[in-house]
Amino acid sequence: MSDLVEIDSLLSSNTPLNNTEDGEEEAMTASEVLQKLEEAWLNEKFAPDLLPVKSNLVECMLAQIDAMEANIATAKKGDFRISVHRMEIDRIRYIISSYLRIRLAKIEKFTTHVLQEEEKHRDTDTPLLSDAELEFAKGYNSSVMSHLTNTALRHMPANVASLNSKETAVVPLVDSYVFLKVNETTENVLIEEETVDAGEEIMDLLQGDQHIMRYRPVASLVESGAVSLI
Amino acid sequence: MDASEIEFLAEKEHVRVIPNFSQDKIYLISGDLGPFSAGLPVSIPLWLAVNLKQRQKCRILPPDWMDIDGLKDKKQEEADSRFFTDMPSPFYMEITQLLLQCATDDIPGADEVRTLIKDIWDLRLAKLRSSIDVFIKSGASHAKLNHLTLLEMNTVRQFLTKALDHMHRLKLCVSGDPAVQQ
Repeated sequence: MSDLVEIDSLLSSNTPLNNTEDGEEEAMTASEVLQKLEEAWLNEKFAPDLLPVKSNLVECMLAQIDAMEANIATAKKGDFRISVHRMEIDRIRYIISSYLRIRLAKIEKFTTHVLQEEEKHRDTDTPLLSDAELEFAKGYNSSVMSHLTNTALRHMPANVASLNSKETAVVPLVDSYVFLKVNETTENVLIEEETVDAGEEIMDLLQGDQHIMRYRPVASLVESGAVSLI
Repeated sequence: MDASEIEFLAEKEHVRVIPNFSQDKIYLISGDLGPFSAGLPVSIPLWLAVNLKQRQKCRILPPDWMDIDGLKDKKQEEADSRFFTDMPSPFYMEITQLLLQCATDDIPGADEVRTLIKDIWDLRLAKLRSSIDVFIKSGASHAKLNHLTLLEMNTVRQFLTKALDHMHRLKLCVSGDPAVQQ
């Protein structure tokens, strides 16, 4: 019983957690991490392309869940709080697994494209894929390629027996329309490139506004957190 | 997005309940709750409130806006305004649905509340449909949707975003963008 309280208070939202990833240290409370993770989940859900992975958020939340579960295990049976903590853990688990599943679905869909993009991002602070996802993407890619080769390509005449993955790659439609909410006022966003019959269109995104527009012009703002997809 | 996922998000909203038990603070990952003392109102997330209600451990206090006179005024305001009005809660429909399902006895005039909320919902959806019509016909490339709630957006999400995607592609074809013609 007293154990529960002790570890509980460590997890209380007032305790800042040290979130170390890439050598940079951010102090965030558990509830802020959860909030960020939820945002990342929704952004990932609605963005047409794959967003940079938020592995530090996922790992931090998983560590919180583990700590909480260890904590529950030591608690007295029948304690009222156990069921409450369990329910919360289930809710957080759902967000994490949904987030990871959406990413896997996108990786399967845009494998070649994702691997190309990943190479550009690999050595930066914001890798596109986590290590496990990268392994999955490579494995998936080679399985698909060997499947296509074995079932079809090798029976083809020599002049059409190769597959150019660059040409056949499925790319995300970044011009898809999305719903978004503005978190930070951003002025002078270029919405429409100048075309033959219409000039360019620039607008200010005011905090709290909701819009529907194409994803491409706001893609960088989604990454920076100035807007969230809804 | 599935409607159940929006309900999931709505369940994070806080409601006030009167517990019939006492309990020290509970330190959840998402923040501290309580302390609970029997008979004193406390604010907790909806998911917990629904669960406690089902276990008959609390009485739910309806949110301030869930009041027949207030909702009548709101309905009138919605009917009079050309634009969407600001709803008292971004999840008004989901919260009403959840509370009326599990805590009918705690909400005064439950049936009337249900009808009023449904009326407001219908008014707003009709407005949404007509504004989409105007938006599409104007050929604009973006639209502002202030005060529209998530559930309302979700009813038109699939149809509207896909339709706009197609229109955008057609527009690019007309303007002769080679990328689309491939």
